[in-house]
Amino acid sequence: MSSLNRIWVLAFNTYREAVRDKLLYNLLLFAALMIASSILLAQIQIGKDDRIYRDIGLSAIAFFGVLIAIFVGINLVHHELSTKTVYTMLAKPVRRWEFLLGKYFGLLSLLAVEVAIMSACFLGVLVWAGSTFEMGLVWSIVLIYCELALVTAVAMFFSSFTTPYLSGMFTIALWIIGHLLADLRAFGSKSDLPGLKELLEALYWTLPNLDRLDIKADASAGNPIELARVGAAALYAWLYSFVLMAGAVLLFQRRDFR
Amino acid sequence: MIVSAIQTRGLCKTFRTGFWMRPVRAVIDVDLDVKAGEIFGFIGPNGAGKTTTIKMLTGLVLPTSGEAWLNGVSVTEPRSRARLGFLPEGTFFHDYLTGREFLDFHGALLGIPKEVRRERIPKLLARVGLAGAEDRQIRRYSKGMRQRAGLAQSLIGDPELVILDEPMSGLDPLGRKDVRDVILSLRDEGKTVFFSSHILEDAEVICDQVAIILSSRIVKQGYLDELLGQELVGAELTVEGISEDVHQELEREAQRAVMQGHRFLFEFRDEAMAEKALDRVRAAGGRVRSYVPKRKSLEDLLLEGMKQESKS
Repeated sequence: MSSLNRIWVLAFNTYREAVRDKLLYNLLLFAALMIASSILLAQIQIGKDDRIYRDIGLSAIAFFGVLIAIFVGINLVHHELSTKTVYTMLAKPVRRWEFLLGKYFGLLSLLAVEVAIMSACFLGVLVWAGSTFEMGLVWSIVLIYCELALVTAVAMFFSSFTTPYLSGMFTIALWIIGHLLADLRAFGSKSDLPGLKELLEALYWTLPNLDRLDIKADASAGNPIELARVGAAALYAWLYSFVLMAGAVLLFQRRDFR
Repeated sequence: MIVSAIQTRGLCKTFRTGFWMRPVRAVIDVDLDVKAGEIFGFIGPNGAGKTTTIKMLTGLVLPTSGEAWLNGVSVTEPRSRARLGFLPEGTFFHDYLTGREFLDFHGALLGIPKEVRRERIPKLLARVGLAGAEDRQIRRYSKGMRQRAGLAQSLIGDPELVILDEPMSGLDPLGRKDVRDVILSLRDEGKTVFFSSHILEDAEVICDQVAIILSSRIVKQGYLDELLGQELVGAELTVEGISEDVHQELEREAQRAVMQGHRFLFEFRDEAMAEKALDRVRAAGGRVRSYVPKRKSLEDLLLEGMKQESKS
């Protein structure tokens, strides 16, 4: 049996476990309610209805996507370790990297389905409101998915060596910092504190720059979005995810399951 | 050359624990030789190092030093686990799955074709006494049922070698008997069974060979007959209808005396004393209800080892 088959079996089981988790449905329900609430908000706002539908819709997809990626993602990996279900899997001819990739791809499948469901709700609102639909919105959603893949890889990386609580904290912190890196860099360049500029510059180039993946404002405003920009951002996200997963595999490889 | 089902040489594991990463030696110089087709009991009290040794054999814990092989293949290679069935201690399973899905998942991980799984799963569930519960989620299973599901999981790949960590732990007498029967039937099929237990009676009934591990080291290993020997180490005498004087006399001689309703049970340290007591009871007109000569048991062996350990 090939590695690919084992990864597929593990990914399918991860997906199956996640879709039987009530937390996922609660988060999806809240996401749908938030997207639908844009209809209500548009009634009390004068003008620019389209912007409200788009802003709220895209933000809901991104925000709830990240929540699901972090909480369901971390929980899924740690559940295997804390409940020791990993024992019966790794005592088979399953390599540890196959196990981690199986978990990762299972989560990516789940996120794809979840983004598709939220996007369908978003599209429903746009159709109901008679709002225009542009390709920029699709590219924005594609990059939201890439961001989720990257955040999931961050969560997997931390999960491979620390507790779920710390994994969650570190991943949320990195997600917030990842969206503020450009501001932090600008702040550092104006600072007189010795070493701060260099530190923030180093962080800018090493931590995941999630702002690169955020084209929601342009998509919502209907500004033209170049395909090259989308492609470069997607490539960045997947390369960064690859590096994080390689790190996770290295750490997981030497771990004792006590 | 005959390849051992399990072989270890100088297997050691040291964990580092706490803030100061203090070294704790969990397993020290374990040498095991488990022949194919045998039932091998790995005996020892809790915390002796049984589970850590098993985890090293199954690739879950990396040895600090030493080597181990399953069917001649080093445990560092995943293919050593290709024909291995493993039941970990405790019942830790994907409890959102039904019994059928659970076995199907593990069968798929081993690369068993779908049609073979479809045919094998109902038979396996019936074999471990879970027929009729296959479409129920494992979270709704009782502890005994979960243990049975775990046992079925370990057998889904038709393994040559089955490693069971405390398979009887927490089971009721019927459950323990069922597990014993499955282990014996595996040997009849030519498979090797290596199981750890602190329930000595079970091990004594079914094992060909045992290894006793105490304080991280193996203190005794061999065939049960060789280890326990044939010599008698005492006898139990149950009598009734004896006078108070005779009772007191026997009580003084016996290692232990217990009143069971109108009967008295006396346990003697050696056979000669027991036979003397037997004659005394008969002479006093008492009735002998049972006389059971005692061989050395695994419990005696374990206690002996523990005494030696504490002395050294």
